[in-house]
Amino acid sequence: MNHRNSSALLVSDFNVEGLRALFANDAGEPAVEAICAPFGEVYPTLLGNDPRGGTFDFSVVWTRPEGVSETFLQAVEGQPFVASDILAEVDRFTAALTRFAGRFHHLFVPTWVIPPHRQGFGLFDMQNHAGASNLAMRMNLRLCDNLQDNPGIFVLNTAKWIENAGGFAVNPKSWFLGRIAFGPEVFKDAVRDVKGLLNAASGQSRKLILLDLDDTLWGGTVGEDGWQNLKLGGHDPQGEAFLDFQRQLKILARRGVLLGIVSKNEEPVALEAIRRHPEMVLRLEDFAGWRINWADKAENIAALLAELKLTPAAAVFLDNDPAERDRVRRALPEVLVPDWPADTMRYSQELWRLRCFPFAAVSAEDRSRRELYAIKHQGDALRTECQSVDEWLASLQLVLAVEEAGPASLPRVVQLLNKTNQMNLSTRRLNADELNAWLAGGGRKLWAIRVRDRFGDHGLVGLFSLEVRGTTAQLTDFVLSCRVLGRRVEECMVWLAAEQGRLLGATRLQAQYVATPRNKPCLDFWQGLAGFVCDVETTTFWRELTEPLAEVPHVTIERRPA
Amino acid sequence: MNDSEAILEVIYRSIDEVNEQQPPDKRVGKSLDTVLLGEGSPLESLGVVNLIVALEQNLELRLGVSASLTDDERLYRSDSPLGTVRSLAGHLADVLASRPGA
Repeated sequence: MNHRNSSALLVSDFNVEGLRALFANDAGEPAVEAICAPFGEVYPTLLGNDPRGGTFDFSVVWTRPEGVSETFLQAVEGQPFVASDILAEVDRFTAALTRFAGRFHHLFVPTWVIPPHRQGFGLFDMQNHAGASNLAMRMNLRLCDNLQDNPGIFVLNTAKWIENAGGFAVNPKSWFLGRIAFGPEVFKDAVRDVKGLLNAASGQSRKLILLDLDDTLWGGTVGEDGWQNLKLGGHDPQGEAFLDFQRQLKILARRGVLLGIVSKNEEPVALEAIRRHPEMVLRLEDFAGWRINWADKAENIAALLAELKLTPAAAVFLDNDPAERDRVRRALPEVLVPDWPADTMRYSQELWRLRCFPFAAVSAEDRSRRELYAIKHQGDALRTECQSVDEWLASLQLVLAVEEAGPASLPRVVQLLNKTNQMNLSTRRLNADELNAWLAGGGRKLWAIRVRDRFGDHGLVGLFSLEVRGTTAQLTDFVLSCRVLGRRVEECMVWLAAEQGRLLGATRLQAQYVATPRNKPCLDFWQGLAGFVCDVETTTFWRELTEPLAEVPHVTIERRPA
Repeated sequence: MNDSEAILEVIYRSIDEVNEQQPPDKRVGKSLDTVLLGEGSPLESLGVVNLIVALEQNLELRLGVSASLTDDERLYRSDSPLGTVRSLAGHLADVLASRPGA
């Protein structure tokens, strides 16, 4: 995968040098170079200017509850206190966080915890508005409530890291010797979560899980045992484990992760099992595609990825057979092929430990992606029945709605700008503030593209922006989701860009392709576009706008107000 | 595995854990002559804290021995048991030998 390095500012009321070091040493992408704000100076850092004079991609603000709320400290020390003051102090803290967040692409805020060795009050710990754990929970809920409308701020679950770290998550000796609140295993888990979110936010996360069937999705060999005898559900512990694994996959699918099947089986036999087994949680409509045959799995994966218009870097392959995993790892090194436990009862746990899926900001479009791919599958089936691609496109009844980007569409526009890799002319990565600042620069406009066809609404899937300088309209952004590639939407977008350029007084439309390891499909598209001249040295495509471009057949264009 | 080997395993395991938080050019070597404290040691104060905590945790986890290395008054003196891996191993052997019933 291709990543740039990230820089981070760590702000804490305890010693986070260990966290900084683990960010630096962690081999996972992106590489992170972090520095620590002055130790213990949380509020001065949040409210003041950057103490190091630098700029950072993200920040982690990690505090102890008593570091934010003096009233909380009074409560745990048994002094008189007013519970509402604690929430007022949380409000003050979150207001400072919100202001501070404006300096970064992302701000991560781990939740407050009471260290296990400080939870000695038994039942009193959870006494309403009085016990330390009860108060910390209220603080955390207030934190989440206050920050929920800030798309760049992520609240992270410290308690989960402590649970994962086990017995040495918190060591009083580390605190007394070095003011270190958490052990390295907690910090490591934090690093993994933060990096996972950074990857998700930058479109680098995995989007597709490719699954083997026998002894991966169900117990047994369907071709040998018959679907009636598979271990799935029932009163068998292993069957329950497979059932649970399918449930977890379904949860991921509901959150926008695509599922696919790559299995060495007879397709009719395997599909019958999926259709007819009464305890199957996953049904055919849950899968974006499948390759069920006896061919090489790596070749099948490559073919399926091509069909789904996804790159190997978007895929995870899960298979119980280590030889198959080895084959795919060697043939397709960008596909994530995790080691998979021999113990089927650990499948669900291992699935959630992958932490490579795009949960940073799930939009309505993400949630419906699975359905749209299922619909697309029907579309592809139709394609094979039609005599030509043109006929297939005509049958789609494709409608492209264009609107100038406004506040309603901006969150999805920003998400698309930052997630799309393949059909992306310049691969600019901007947050909402940066994009708004760019648009305010004069002579610049951005349009959002929504697409629907007779199979469903694909939502906001494309955008393009123009900057007019003199008589030249420069196409700055040209972004289209791979979900609708190859349906002439991209040609329509060029047509619209030319039309808008002319309306803005330009006589030339120009687009400079900026190469990345993943956007060759965009270059291929522009190189195949009729009527444009290419300056090979700068990979700049241009054409005069004296004559209107030919309209694109089979696509109806709707113009909508912003 | 005898006590000496078990102690060395605890020390080297702890060094591995400490190295996870050390810059690449300041990793601690794993040999009897490796300097852990003072001149010639790649460890700064935080690294020493991490090493002490890791050692105590691994003693408990792997050998079932609860020991507090910070109770030793020599810890930060020139004759500190943390001076080298060799001196540390000797000190831990003494700790194990002083257990009731050892």
